[in-house]
Amino acid sequence: MTTTTTPARADRPAPAPVRPRGGANKTKSGRRRSWMPLWLLLPSAVILIPLFGYPLYQLGLLSFLEFGQPQASAGEVAEFVGFDNYSTLLGDDQFWDVLSQTVIFAAACVVATLAVGAALAVLLTRVGKWPRLLLLFAALGAWAAPAMTGSTVWMFLFDTNLGLVNEVLGMQGHNWFYEKWSAFALVGVVVVWHSFPFVMISLYAGIESIPVSVLEAARLDGASTWTTFRHVMLPILRPILTIVVIQSIIWDFKVFTQIYVMTGGGGIAGQNLVLNVYAYQKAFASSDYSLGAAIGVLMTLILLVVTVFYIRALRRSGEEL
Amino acid sequence: MNRTSAVRPVGPRRVKGNRKVSRRIANTTAIVIALLTVFPLYWMVLSALKPDGEINSVDPRPWTWHPTLDNFRDAFGVSGFGGYFLNSLIVATVVVVLSGLVSFLAAVALTRFDFKFRTTILVMFLVAQMVPVEALTIPLFFLVRDIGTVAPGFGLSTLGSLMLVNLAFSLPFAIWMLRGFVKAIPESLEEAARIDGANRFTILWRILFPLVAPGLAATSVFSFITAWNDFVFAKTFILDTDHQTLPAALMVFFKPDENDWGGIMAASTLMTIPVLIFFVLVQRHLVSGLGGAVKD
Amino acid sequence: MKIRSLAAVAVAGIALAACAPGTASKSKSADEQTGTLKVWLYDEANRAPKEKVVNAAVADFKAAHPKVNVEVGYIPTDAGPRAEKMKGAFNDPNSAPDVVEFGNTDLFGYVAAGGLADISADLDTWSEVGDLPKDLKDTTLVDGKTYGLPWWLGLRSLYYRTDVFTELGIKPPTSYAELVEAAKKVRSAKPDMFGIAVGGKYTFGGLPFVWAGGGDIATQQGGKYVATIDSPQSQAGVKAYTDLFGKDICPPQQCADLTGGKTVEAFAAGTAGMAILPNSSRSAVEAGVAKGKYAVVPLPGNTPGSIAPAFSGGNDLGVMKSSQHRSLAVDFMKILGGKKYQLQMFDAMGNLPTLASARGDVVAKDPWLKPFIDTLNAGTKFVPKDAAWAKIDAQSVVPTMFQKVVTGKSDVSGATGEAKTAIDNAFAGK
Repeated sequence: MTTTTTPARADRPAPAPVRPRGGANKTKSGRRRSWMPLWLLLPSAVILIPLFGYPLYQLGLLSFLEFGQPQASAGEVAEFVGFDNYSTLLGDDQFWDVLSQTVIFAAACVVATLAVGAALAVLLTRVGKWPRLLLLFAALGAWAAPAMTGSTVWMFLFDTNLGLVNEVLGMQGHNWFYEKWSAFALVGVVVVWHSFPFVMISLYAGIESIPVSVLEAARLDGASTWTTFRHVMLPILRPILTIVVIQSIIWDFKVFTQIYVMTGGGGIAGQNLVLNVYAYQKAFASSDYSLGAAIGVLMTLILLVVTVFYIRALRRSGEEL
Repeated sequence: MNRTSAVRPVGPRRVKGNRKVSRRIANTTAIVIALLTVFPLYWMVLSALKPDGEINSVDPRPWTWHPTLDNFRDAFGVSGFGGYFLNSLIVATVVVVLSGLVSFLAAVALTRFDFKFRTTILVMFLVAQMVPVEALTIPLFFLVRDIGTVAPGFGLSTLGSLMLVNLAFSLPFAIWMLRGFVKAIPESLEEAARIDGANRFTILWRILFPLVAPGLAATSVFSFITAWNDFVFAKTFILDTDHQTLPAALMVFFKPDENDWGGIMAASTLMTIPVLIFFVLVQRHLVSGLGGAVKD
Repeated sequence: MKIRSLAAVAVAGIALAACAPGTASKSKSADEQTGTLKVWLYDEANRAPKEKVVNAAVADFKAAHPKVNVEVGYIPTDAGPRAEKMKGAFNDPNSAPDVVEFGNTDLFGYVAAGGLADISADLDTWSEVGDLPKDLKDTTLVDGKTYGLPWWLGLRSLYYRTDVFTELGIKPPTSYAELVEAAKKVRSAKPDMFGIAVGGKYTFGGLPFVWAGGGDIATQQGGKYVATIDSPQSQAGVKAYTDLFGKDICPPQQCADLTGGKTVEAFAAGTAGMAILPNSSRSAVEAGVAKGKYAVVPLPGNTPGSIAPAFSGGNDLGVMKSSQHRSLAVDFMKILGGKKYQLQMFDAMGNLPTLASARGDVVAKDPWLKPFIDTLNAGTKFVPKDAAWAKIDAQSVVPTMFQKVVTGKSDVSGATGEAKTAIDNAFAGK
């Protein structure tokens, strides 16, 4: 089978087996070196540099200052404190608790989202028209539901006294948010409910886009189903899988609304805090803007490391950005 | 049908002879999962339609004989929901249109041209998505306030500020996603147009843009969601009540003493409907578009 | 040197945008006599009656100042959103109101944030100031200057179900031991009910137990606050409160996460035999099934017949430092905070007046208030009068302490120890 996944040049967009390459290569060097791409990127730059880059720079700066409400509104001068905020944070047991439960929670959400999404994508290819449409529209519904309303509805379903679930299970008075991991599990279910449709629809569309002829050819070549999957489908699906995995990591690691709304800002005695909510509580509830900024910076770095790690693993297996 | 059985991680594996049974099981599974998935939304609408007495009953039933629009009336009448709804819609629409245009141009630059720092810029767009938005609200608040002194239409408590900020935060993902769609359009089409003597502008708008349109539709869903769902910015930047948007207004129903579940569910329903409509409108492009991204 | 210059760059950078709010709010307040006066008040669960009284006050004010427009906004009552709203107002004077209503415990944080104007001189010349009790006035003092006008009081006492107590032959408790006994009796006879509705997040429901035994959150030592929440007396109080969270009184599963508001809900819905509620919960309770089947007594202390000190809660009115209409703002505050409208607010919302004569009037008129007045006369307590309280409150130090004990994550000495550290850190500005 032709599985040309090794690219000719490192900076080429991800190629796929059926890409019409003729003539495209010669355009690389000469004609396309122009000011055109800069003009095209200008609008993005005009928006992103002041509204994203600059605040980001300030966020970094804040994390090295002592900056609370008196500095923000009473005109006190912000003092440069070096890595004090970071050392306070790293020396705080609660930070490590929050960090570790964030990682566990996010990892579980990513895995579950991908597993459910992939399983259902495959299921979609194997069912009749009506069940398929039904599932697709149900998924669209879950996807469309704003995080805020989704969390609210699930909260109501699992309400201690008025909830349908307790009623059906005959567990009136059971508080799903009492135990730390029970609360996390429930929030996790909502996160997966919100995010599996993206995975499912992307992968389903990917599978559907594989030309039947390619699979037919593989079959005629006598390839087993496994070989077909491993060497024909997977390479074609890989770019989509990459996006889906990276996005899931980014989204699930940054879950905010669901935790904030469902556990009332972090659960009983703060047992359900995740980094994002923790940063928000520090920054806004306690007016410790600089500490909140430091958490934000650390979070970005952690996500960066995870993603770089993932991308490098992909590179090693012959895939690229 | 056999072609996908290897990738199927769940459900029973069947030998070829059992295709019909296997199909039926698959159909049933799909339907059951679809119903489970949609149930919370059903419950939301149902609870919005239930009269107060039934909602607060400790014996909830999955239907009602006495549907009422009282909760919706309360939402619109008492809480001024109509205005918030309109605000949200204006912000989201502007963000979708602008983000579509800007990200299209950027995506073309990043796929059709080869220049220094191309990969760097690409990676930056990815990294931008990793920054926790909640943390950025701190510096953004002061920035927006200062913008307000120069351009009052974009200062605090204006819809303009929300448009700007949501635009900025929807762009990285929109560009990142649209890049896949642009990549999927064969370059030979542009090549042909060029040979015919079309200039760059014509190629960009007359040839590429229509071809990428389905992808744009799919991408716009994400920009729409970013703007529509945003509650941190709205909460932080909008200090008066007139310019509040839906998600923050929803919090009005969460009272410290008693949660008005009927009102909350009615408001939630109203907030979900536009997104749902948007999704249904573009769903065809969503499915084919996302697939197109790999088709090449 | 390197660090120094880096610091300079950093400070300069932040000053560019993030520090600008400082300069902005320092901009002088003005005293314009025309324009629009903005007023922010709390958005209560049932706002209509409040709005009516406020509108009447606005009409009164306008009669005296026909050229001035008054715009009343209602801000969220929940601590989180409310704090954000107020911070937004401090950081951006342009969107800030002129007159605000705020919780009396918020005052110190707001003053430290530079948000409130010093109104000592304005109140001194107020015709009704003599009617304001000194202890209440003291709650608005920071470094000898007055920053608020106490508008109404909220005191908590023990609500109990008369029908249930009669049926089970229980008498209203007069000591902590009797309270526990009564609660257990109710729960065992009526498993659907909490013996007493208590909440892990209910700071001011729990603190009276701490105060009853002589404990406190912090005490002033040499002009500085030091946390005493881990003292033996305080620990005994924490134990007394958290002991109420048991399967035989108020199961931790259901009560650990309750807020004060949720205990109101539980009592009103008839699922609690007793609850520690403020006088302002009256209308909520009477809207529920408990209507006509309840009575109120002061929350008992440890020894028979004693009263546990209640938190002297309530709201103040104040003028924003950034106000451009300073004297108009003061005028409006005096009208809304005066006896006439304090009485109307009592009729509308059940808010207990702060002015002594007004309070005398309503107590004479309404014997229902007696247990609250008894509680008031027995002596009340307050949170530390320090800006750090805002932080302690925002970090949920006290609820976290209760919840850790209630859920068994920590024992009393461990939880109070952690709370002490957090409180002392807050006082140290960390």
